[in-house]
Amino acid sequence: MAMDVVDYEIFGNDMQYVEVELDPGEAAVGEAGAMMMMQDGIEMDTIFGDGSQQQSGLLGKLLGAGKRLVTGESLFTTIFHNESQSKRRVAFAAPYPGKIVPVKLSDVGGTLICQKDSFLCAARGVSLGIAFQRRLGVGLFGGEGFIMQKLDGDGLVFVHAGGMLMRRDLQPGEKLRVDTGCVVAFQPSVDFDIQYVGKLKSALFSGEGLFFATLTGPGRVWLQSLPLSRLANRIIASAPAAGGRSVGEGSVLGALGGLLDGDND
Amino acid sequence: MIAKARLFGDGLPATGESAVVKIVGATLLVQSDSAQHRAGIDSLRLRMVGFDESGIEFSWNDVDGSRAVQVLDKESVQALLARPELASSPQWLALQSGNRRNSVRRFFGWNVVAVIVLLPALLLLAFVWQADRIAAAAASRIPIGQEVELGDRAFAGMAASLHLLDSGPDFDAVAALGQKLTHGSKYRYRFHVAKADVVNAFALPGGIVVVNSGLIDGTRTAEELAGVLAHEIQHVELRHSLNAVVKQLGLQGLWLLITGDAGSTLAGSTVLQLTSLKFSRDAEEQADAKGFDTLVANGIDPRGMIDFFDVMAAKEQVSPPELLSTHPTSAGRKRALAAKQASLQGRSFEPLSLGFWPPRE
Repeated sequence: MAMDVVDYEIFGNDMQYVEVELDPGEAAVGEAGAMMMMQDGIEMDTIFGDGSQQQSGLLGKLLGAGKRLVTGESLFTTIFHNESQSKRRVAFAAPYPGKIVPVKLSDVGGTLICQKDSFLCAARGVSLGIAFQRRLGVGLFGGEGFIMQKLDGDGLVFVHAGGMLMRRDLQPGEKLRVDTGCVVAFQPSVDFDIQYVGKLKSALFSGEGLFFATLTGPGRVWLQSLPLSRLANRIIASAPAAGGRSVGEGSVLGALGGLLDGDND
Repeated sequence: MIAKARLFGDGLPATGESAVVKIVGATLLVQSDSAQHRAGIDSLRLRMVGFDESGIEFSWNDVDGSRAVQVLDKESVQALLARPELASSPQWLALQSGNRRNSVRRFFGWNVVAVIVLLPALLLLAFVWQADRIAAAAASRIPIGQEVELGDRAFAGMAASLHLLDSGPDFDAVAALGQKLTHGSKYRYRFHVAKADVVNAFALPGGIVVVNSGLIDGTRTAEELAGVLAHEIQHVELRHSLNAVVKQLGLQGLWLLITGDAGSTLAGSTVLQLTSLKFSRDAEEQADAKGFDTLVANGIDPRGMIDFFDVMAAKEQVSPPELLSTHPTSAGRKRALAAKQASLQGRSFEPLSLGFWPPRE
């Protein structure tokens, strides 16, 4: 499978976007809606499926599109190809605060398992598939559900997740206990499992839930510090319009202070 | 036979090195980008790896430290297992029995989840299946007073759209036959004739029986009219419409419980539906049989009831097959009644005479 080698540059701190430089004839695949800007000379094509070479024929395309539906991606992917005679740039923006991480699939053995919905963009030729979690406990309590996304190929992929992204390399047998929901991606050589937190008191009151996710080496893993759902929870909980408390905006006057401070939101 | 693999270990990059693996005799040969490794199969530790646990990891220790090589893709795993040196090694056999235990556990686990997910649906099915019986049990606890009230309310709601003809020979005939068939009943019956050409009659809970003038015109003898009345009266006596209402209410409530969808107000719509209610096939056949018995007990020739099905059959030339319809076809009901008639063994009845009815032209 011919992979395009692309250069890239990531901008921003907490709200990032990635600019991909395409040589003439090169192309990148983007998640629908992720494109932020593109230079003149870049043509945009929307295709059914993921644009990898594997899916030829109608059935293959339908299958690929079905997989994308299951993993929470949209049915169509957009291909951006450079039809001009010189280098051109196209940018893809992350949809919520977090980090964009470039992963070269050939560095990790050609396959990466990642969280649903975390794919942002990739060099053309990367195929997006699903990895089905057969372990019931992990699917129910591992924080990632039963479906994860499998990226196959040799080229660069850009994965996005919330908060800070941490990369860790695990030696064979080395185990990392992770809060459920914080796993973003891992090499398929890594064993993803769950572990009971151990003590009833901890299970009930530690705030970590009943289970940890465990990642056991060998291989590389990526973790996120702030899963989107957690961020959304906090926002809803403190949104007065949604019935939350307005923390830190009151005064000793209580509700009256809220009237006087001139902030009507 | 060369399997693609990835080699991990001390001094190697954490993401591993690409490698190829092959089994030569009792030795595992690993050729990585940087070096060649070999290990005796009997010294290997085996483990299932990969996201769907279809890959194999071989690990061992050599002079440089620990080494682990993973074969993840299915064809390569199959190719390696084709070697008897590996397939019959004690490590692989132990791993396989563990796998089997695991898959049995997993099978049970998934089934438990399936049951939990399907349980509400199964409950609903069970309720629907036994709905008639449950509804009848619930309906039997409703006192007659309330039943009468329910019927009266329904009748009051529809009386405006009915053109009632509550006088004249037709009405008198219906009332006289009705009295004859209902004496001794715990219900107080009220009979009405409605001006409508449709061959139809219906009964409301509590003892209201309405006969269309079109039906009366269709009858040829007093026995036929008595047959129709006997049938409708049994709907009241057997509380068919009450059961149907309770069933409907129960199912709606159950549906509400499962879907959480309040929909429209329950009770109001149900009273309205009372008028367009269709009885089940069982209810119709039951009313036929009981009505037949009432006729016989009152000394009225039940052949009139049977004959009247010819009038009905003429009206339903185009009808769906019996199984699809909630109403059994007239032919089917007629057959059932004819069988009952045969069991009377030629008992003779005096012709029913009302004197003034049916009017002779």
